[in-house]
Parts: sequence; C-alpha cells; structure tokens
Amino acid sequence: MRVSHEWLGEMVELEGVEPAQVAELLTLSGTEVEKVTAYGLGLDRVLVGEVVGLRRVEGSDHLFLANVAVPGQEPREVICGADNLFLGALVPWARPGTRLPIGLEIGRKRLRGIWSEGMLCAPDELGLGSDHDGVLILSPDDAEAGMPLDRLYPADHLYELEVLSNRADCLSHWGVARELAALLSRPLRDPETSRPTRSASGPALRVNVASSTDCPVYLAEVLTGIRNVPAPAFVRRRLAAIGQRSLGGIVDLANYVMFEIGQPLHTFDLNRLPAPEQELEVGVRRGRHGESISCLDGVRRELDPETLVITVGDAPQAVAGLIGGEASAVGADTAQVLLEAANFNWARLRSTSRRLRLRTEASGRFERQLSPHLARVGADRFIHLAVRHLGATLGPRAEGGAPLTPAAAIRCDPRRISAILGMELSPVAVAGPLRRLQFEVREEGAEMLVTPSPYRTDVATAVDLAEEVGRIIGYQEVPGTLPPLRQAPPLEALAEPVARLTSTTCRAAGFSEAVSLSLVSSERDGLAPRLIGDLAHLELANPLSAQLGSLRQGLLQGLLQSAHHNQARGQDRVCLFEQGAAFWARGQERPEEPWMLALLDLADDTAEDGAARLRHLMALIASLSSAGGGGAVEFRPVAWPALHRARAAEVWAGSQLRGIVGEVARPVADAFDVRGRVEVAELRLDGWLKPGGRPGQAPPLPRTPALVLDLSVTVPIRALLGPGLQAIRALGLPELELVTPIDEYLGDQLGPGVKGWTLRLRLRHPERTLTTSEGDAARQAILRVLEREVGARAR
Amino acid sequence: MTPVDLQELTAMALEEIARADSLERLDEVRLRYLGRRDGLVTLAGQRLRELAPEQRAAFGQEFNRASGQLRSALETRQRQLAAGEEEQREDGEWVDMSHPFRSPEQGHSHPVAGLIREIEDIFAFLGYQSVAGPELEDDQHNFQLLNMPPEHPARDSHDTFYLSPPAGGWLYRTHTSPVQMRAMLASPPPLRIIVPGKVARRDNPDPTHTPVFHQVEGLCVDRGVTLGDLKGTLEYVIRALFGRERRVRLRASFFPYTEPSLEADVACAVCQGAGCRTCLQKGWIEILGSGMVHPAVLRNGGVDPETHSGFAFGMGPDRIAVLRYGLSDLRDLYENDLRLLECF
Ligand SMILES: [Zn+2]
Repeated sequence: MRVSHEWLGEMVELEGVEPAQVAELLTLSGTEVEKVTAYGLGLDRVLVGEVVGLRRVEGSDHLFLANVAVPGQEPREVICGADNLFLGALVPWARPGTRLPIGLEIGRKRLRGIWSEGMLCAPDELGLGSDHDGVLILSPDDAEAGMPLDRLYPADHLYELEVLSNRADCLSHWGVARELAALLSRPLRDPETSRPTRSASGPALRVNVASSTDCPVYLAEVLTGIRNVPAPAFVRRRLAAIGQRSLGGIVDLANYVMFEIGQPLHTFDLNRLPAPEQELEVGVRRGRHGESISCLDGVRRELDPETLVITVGDAPQAVAGLIGGEASAVGADTAQVLLEAANFNWARLRSTSRRLRLRTEASGRFERQLSPHLARVGADRFIHLAVRHLGATLGPRAEGGAPLTPAAAIRCDPRRISAILGMELSPVAVAGPLRRLQFEVREEGAEMLVTPSPYRTDVATAVDLAEEVGRIIGYQEVPGTLPPLRQAPPLEALAEPVARLTSTTCRAAGFSEAVSLSLVSSERDGLAPRLIGDLAHLELANPLSAQLGSLRQGLLQGLLQSAHHNQARGQDRVCLFEQGAAFWARGQERPEEPWMLALLDLADDTAEDGAARLRHLMALIASLSSAGGGGAVEFRPVAWPALHRARAAEVWAGSQLRGIVGEVARPVADAFDVRGRVEVAELRLDGWLKPGGRPGQAPPLPRTPALVLDLSVTVPIRALLGPGLQAIRALGLPELELVTPIDEYLGDQLGPGVKGWTLRLRLRHPERTLTTSEGDAARQAILRVLEREVGARAR
Repeated sequence: MTPVDLQELTAMALEEIARADSLERLDEVRLRYLGRRDGLVTLAGQRLRELAPEQRAAFGQEFNRASGQLRSALETRQRQLAAGEEEQREDGEWVDMSHPFRSPEQGHSHPVAGLIREIEDIFAFLGYQSVAGPELEDDQHNFQLLNMPPEHPARDSHDTFYLSPPAGGWLYRTHTSPVQMRAMLASPPPLRIIVPGKVARRDNPDPTHTPVFHQVEGLCVDRGVTLGDLKGTLEYVIRALFGRERRVRLRASFFPYTEPSLEADVACAVCQGAGCRTCLQKGWIEILGSGMVHPAVLRNGGVDPETHSGFAFGMGPDRIAVLRYGLSDLRDLYENDLRLLECF
C-alpha cells in the first residue's frame, strides 16, 4: 500500500521528522517500507500558465505552438508535442532556467525556426507519478494562471508499505499515523467527523442481514441533494499521489475514506435501485444457484450459496465486499446515494475472492480481518465530507448485523512482559507504549487491565501485548543474551541421517556433492537404475509441470541429468554423489522416505578403464560401510534393470540388501543423452550406517612376527573372487590373519579360458614364530578350497 | 726427515686435496698421505723413533699439527664433494614445480550442503543437536498444530504441493517447522535442536525461486527463555556466518506460530547499506524469520506455556549461499555444474 507523508502529517505531527526516519521507524516496528519516493518536490519553480493561443507548427504533424500567459506578462511561445491542449487550458509551465525535480534542465530552445520558451509538463516530468499521456491539465476550480504549482502539489514523500497479514488496521493513513504517533510519542489527531442533523426526506429504510457471522455489521445511510461535482483539490491531489484516478466526487470521497480510515465503502445510486413499494429493504444473504450479477468492471458473475451478496428488494446489487453492480453504479447525474459501510467475514471473502479470481482494495482489507468498529467511523467521515463538499443532506439510516462487542480487556502482569522480552521494564515503561497505541491501561495492584484499540484485531493475549511493547520500544533496546545451557538429552527419534560421514567419505574418494530437486518426471525417473523397481510413483495433485510432477524414487535420475549437463559443458570426467530422501508409495499410508546415497562416475573410455572406475566405486562403498559401522559388504553379481548385464551387483551387508552397483546400460545412458561409460551405485543408508560408525573392539595385537606368503593360482576366466574369498574365510584357519587379492592377470602363457590370481596371505601365531612348513600347510589348505570352490589350479 | 720436509709434504697433500674433483679421487689422496700402512705422512710419523730424544718433542708436535690439518682439509673437501654430488643427483630428478597440480582425487562440497554443515557446527557450539523429520507431512503438522487453521491468511505464502490419491492425505512440507512440533512431542524440554532439510513451495522456477529449496529450522525450549536470548543467539550465529563486522538488525514481523515475531536482516554486502539491485534498494537483506514460540504451539507440543517458553527461527541456506558466494540465479544451485562445485 502507498501512503503519503503529507496526508499522514495531518493526523500526526511530522514536523522535523525526515522521511527516512519515518521509513526506518515503520520498518523496524513491522510495517516494512519498501520504497520512499519524492512526490512533487521543487514545484515552486513551475508556474501555472494559461493557453491563450494554439496552432500547429508548420511542417510538423505532431508539434503544437502554444501561447502561454501568466498575468502581467506578455504571452510566450512554447512548442509542445502533446495533443491534449486546448484554448483556455491551465497547464504547468516550466520556464527557461528551471530545473525540474526529475533533474531536467529547461532552456530556451530553437525548433523548426521558432524559439520555444520552456516546456509544458506531463505529470511524470514533474515527479507526479508515471503518467505521460499528455500535459497535466489543471482544474480552474483549484488553479489560476501565475500561481506556483507547489500551491496545488505541496512537496510530499510516498511510502510503499508491505503491511503484515494480521495488520488490516495499517491499510490506512489513520492506522499508519496511529503507529507513528506511538513510535514518535506524539499525539494522534483523529480525522474530523460530524453528525449533521438528519432530514426526514428519502425513503424508509430497512437492513436485513441473514447471518451476522457472514456480516457482523451493516450500516446503511441515505444521502440526498448531492451535487456530484469533482471532489475538493486536496482529495484529488492525495488520491493522485497514491496512484488513484479521480472518478467523480462521490466515488472519490468513498475511496478517500477507505485510504484514510481503512473502511471500504460502497455507494449505490438510490435512483437506480429497484423502486421500493413501501420501504427500501437492503439484504445481505448468500447467493443462489442460477443468480448472476453484472459488475462494475463489465463482467457478469455467477453467484452461488458460497458467495455473499447485497440485495435490494431481494435482487442482487453487489458482491459483498468485493465489487458493486453495474446497474446501481453512481454516475455524473447521481443526486441521492445509499451508502454502505459494512464488515464481512474474512474467511468467506477470501474464498469468494479466490473463486471469482478477483481482488479489490475492499476485499483485500476485509480478508485480513478488518475491525467491525471501523464501519461507523468510515460512514461518519464520508458523511462529513459529502455534506461539506458535495452539499449532501443526511436522510434515513438503518443497520443490521450483531451488536458490536467492545474489545475485551487483557489481564496481564508487567513482570510477565519483562520476562518474555528479557529486559527489565517498570509498570510505567510497559504502560507507556500501550497507551501511545491508544490502548486503555488500568492498573489493578501488580497487574494491568489492558483494553486494546478497537481497531486492532490482532491483540488478544498477554504475549500479544509483549510484542506491542517490544516493537514500540524497539528491539534494538533489548539486550542480547544467550540462554543458560541445560542438559538436553539427544533426540533419538529424530536422529539426523549419516549425511556428514557420507559426504566426507565420498568427497575424499573424488566425488563432488550434488543436490537435485526432489521433484521429477516419473517417466524419466522410471528409466534410471534404482534400488526400488516396479513401484508406482507418488504424484503431485497440483504439479507445476509434468517434468516436476512426481516424487523421486531414487537419486540416479538426478545425477544422470547432471552428468549430461556437465558433459554438454565440456567436462570429460564427471564424479558426483547425492544423498537425500527418496519417496516410496505405500497406498494411503504415510509414504516411506528412505535416506539414499547415489554415486556416479562418467567418462568416455574403454571397457577396461570403465571396469577400473567401477572397482574404485565398489571400494568406496566398502570403505563407507566400514566408516559407518555397516560391517563387511559383499557384492553379488546380478542382472538388474537399466544396468549392464555383465557389470551389475547387489550390495549386501550382513543379511540385508543395501544397494546396487554397476555400469548403466547403454540404451539408458542414451536416453539421458550421456556419452561414454557411466558407473553408478545407489544405496539406502538409513538402518545401515550410523553417523559415528559403531564403537570398535580393539583386537589383541600379538608381538610375534607375521608370516607373509603369496599364493598364485589359475582359475577359469569367469571365476568369481567373492565366493573364493568367502570359502577361504569359511575354512577358519586360526593363524590366517588376512587374505588380500593383489593381482588378477591374463596372459598368453596361461593359455586360453583361464586367468591368474595372486593372493597375499598374512599368517600369525599369537605366541610363537610360525615355521615355513606351517605356512606351506596353510597355503595347501587354501589351494584345496579354491580348487573345490572355483576350479583353481596352482601355478 | 725434518719438520721442514713434513711441511712440504703437507703443502703438497693440501694442494692435491683441493684438486680432487670427486669423492673417489679424494679417497685416493687420503690413502696416499694418511693411509694406515703406507701413507706418506703416516710413514713420516714412523721416523720419530729415529730422531734424537731432544728433537722428538718438536717433531712430534709438528707431525700432529700436519696430520690434523690434513684430516680437517680432507673432511671439509669431502663434505663439499658429497654436497655437490647430491646436487647433481637432484638436478637429474627435475620436476616442473610451476605446474598447476590439482588433485583429481578430491571431490567438492555443494555450496548449500557445505553451508548447512557450517551452520550445524556453529549451533553445535551452542549446544544444539541437528535432527531430521519427514519431508512429506500432513496438514495437521505442517499447518494446524502451528496455529494455521484452514483459510488462515498466512497460508497464502505457503503455496503447497499436495499428493494425488491414494496418498492424498499428504503434502510436501512447506517449511521445516513441523519438526518443531515433532521434537516437542518426542521429548519434554529442555530442547535445543536445529533441523536442516528440504521444503517445497509451488513457485515456478526463476532466478529467485526454485520449487524445492532448503531451510534450517531452530528451536530452543526451556524455563525462562526470553526474546533477549533469541536476539543474542541470532546475533551470535549471524556474525559467525557473515563476519563480526556485518551489521544486523531485527525487525518486528508476523508469523502465526510465534509471538512476538521478528525478522533478521543483514546489511547488504554489495552496497554497504546504500541500496542496490541485490537488496532491492533497501540496503538490507532479509535472512531469517523468528520469534518466541506461540503459547498455542507450545500447548500443541505438550509444553506448558505457564512454566516454559522458547524461541524458534528458520533461515534459508540457499539464499544465504547466493549472498555469500555472489551467485546470480538460485536455480544454479540445483544444476550441479562442476565448474561451480569445484569452487567449494
Ligand atoms: Zn545493496
């Protein structure tokens, strides 16, 4: 919302307060000032001139030559490009030597052989908004030739406010002035109202509100004898300053009151309403199916039982709180109006506004829980202005809704407020800011009875009062402290995943950390290799697009996309990992959210190099498991969808399947537009790895020397090492401390269909040195097992 | 032989030592003069016996001086030659030390993930445990228990992704605040937690929005926790993140789940508060929302607001990363471009 410094100054003394200070005070107390703009600065140097001659400039199709006069001087010639000039028009005239507020230096200029003496200005050139449609035409009611323009447009500053959603009261100058009065400790001057005597003329009036929940207050006032002349200059100037167009005296005054007091008003042309038989019956009720209304904006809207309507003689005349009907709209000839000042249920208006896809200045205020107490003030202020400036006479009135309940008093202990804010405040220091906010404070012993301003709908409890005191004093006054540290037991139930350990381990192994959106296209996600297969995706009911329409079941589709992105930007090697939640459907039940880790290593290289990268990846999985206390992992070759048929394995730890690892099948890599070999893994970490690993148990560390032996065998070319090593361990040789594969080789001398393995054995006896023959015996035993299990032969 | 002969011999030996150009040569010189059996100086020493007793003392002194001089000359020359030979060996093993070597084996942090770890470290120092909660929530936890009943205006800024049937009862959490509730329900106070995690709001991707982003929630509940404690904590954390010199300000705000509510701004680093494009001419950049936990929320979490109080805050590490690292587009955070990742 935009508010004017000059307008605020009418309600709170702003003498000596810089706009920057106003902006800071409002911002820090919750009403954020997004922008301050100067409006009409330096207009004392621009004069009002009268156009006393006008003709086209010869040889130009768009330039005019105006003779502009001010009293006591010869008319001067000014060339102007706007086409809205006319003889007798009063216009702002910047003479040569004037510097316009927007920085433009005006000089004497020669155009088409004519000396132009300055410039006739459009509103934007004067710093009066952004309008550049033509020269600003001034009304002879307000202006006369020779007067400096600042008499019409006093210097002002405009504040662009971001009002908090619970502060409907700040959607008005009065409300903002109330804040400033409290913040500056200056008195608040309420806008002038008066209750003129009521004349008997006009129709009898009755208001019938169907539900006071829908409409707590409905005030109807008849005003007669109106001359719908332009609103007074200060009204038009202030409305223009905040960006509102003038729409005739009646509508301008209603708008003015809305921006001043905050109460939306509606004016019906009494003569355009259905003629009453006996009395004019104004109704507030729900719409009915089949009903519709032509609105002020020319759109016909269907009504329904969810929509609140204003009726006269049961015929819909307005959508309550949102927009008026076309038929009863005020026009230039309007002489009698029915004024509506009402309050409508905020939730009802919100849903109506959303359903009709229409938001108005009025509905925006009602939606935020406007105070019902404002209706009376708004009506009185309008009446005051209409009587004074449009010659209106007050006719009959009626009201509906429920009796207004006064704001409830809040009992509070000032010590409680001190305790919440964490600063020592005396009862006086607590009461001060509240009183300045127009709250009533009564002391009752050590306690206080505080009645908030009736225009505030957001203050109901003691903590609300603490906030008022805090923000008016200013949070910069609260001393910053740290709460005393008391023992808080760890929250096992919400324990964090192993994120940090995983990240450190993967980065140390050369993988960079990726983060992707969790929203995917289910089609693409279904293509990528993933730990869970054949499960329907969780779909969003209201997606932004199909590309972001489903929840990911695994993390590899994101990494494949990132691999493509990087490869397309010239990276020949892409090593990435990502960890995070995946989402697995379980019907109506809460979906499962496994904590996953995906790894990807891409290079456009040979089968052999790809295999080496795959082995590196598998080694990383093994060290991750060991770091996270997940025990020894076992890779079981397997055929897995979307993976290379001869390069895929399940990752097992203990008796649990924890993940998959392998090379992405070429058609899948093609589908993601990735060249080369993509080695990947996807693991589920929750329930397996622990952030701190598992506490280890120190083994005995005998001082006896180790006997280290190598064993070389030949095995069939497709022999599996995993089962071979398992068989060796199953042998249970007490002295065998460690067996490590140190080489795998092929060669002509081995013959076709076989390969060689070299295993390094480390043997140790806890008490004595092992003999060579004991070593040989162990080697023989192992060889026999390998012969049996994988068809090995000694070399 | 007289002492004079010995002097000549020594002079010859010293000259040869100086001329020796390798350790091997030097060793030959040593053997020739000081060899245990037939070194020339050694032999001269044996002549001592042949001398008259009155001459012996003087010759003996002369001999000791000469052989000492030779030994030390040999040692010095040996050190020189050895150093020279090591130099030569090293020269042969030349490496271009100007090469910009980079380890291809070290991976990099994601800017946001790295920032979250940093935030966790700062809070760990203040005694906060980092915890996690589900990303899919129900309306109850995401909104209602946090004082946001249906139709509440504050829901406007939480444009929510809902799931399709049969999982229609679930939504993607719009903030990490539901974990506050889960934590209070899981354990009685004192509570000190932070909750980093992903959240989602239905915003079309653009330079300042991504539909999924991160938040770090914080909650401290105990006896006698004050707004001053919130202020002190935020100032500590913001200074730890942005540097001691950075100006911080707290602004009154509104959230349904806190009362009083505050937002924290840091001075814009680009313009130092003068106003620029980055800060939308405000001079300040909003980095977190916070407040004292609303009594109704405490009650929903099973905490008695008469005996306990608490504060909560939520910050956006994505935005903080953008500010800290000078990114121009939030979406870049989710592309995983290695050229970006390699900077962290
Ligand atoms: Zn800036």
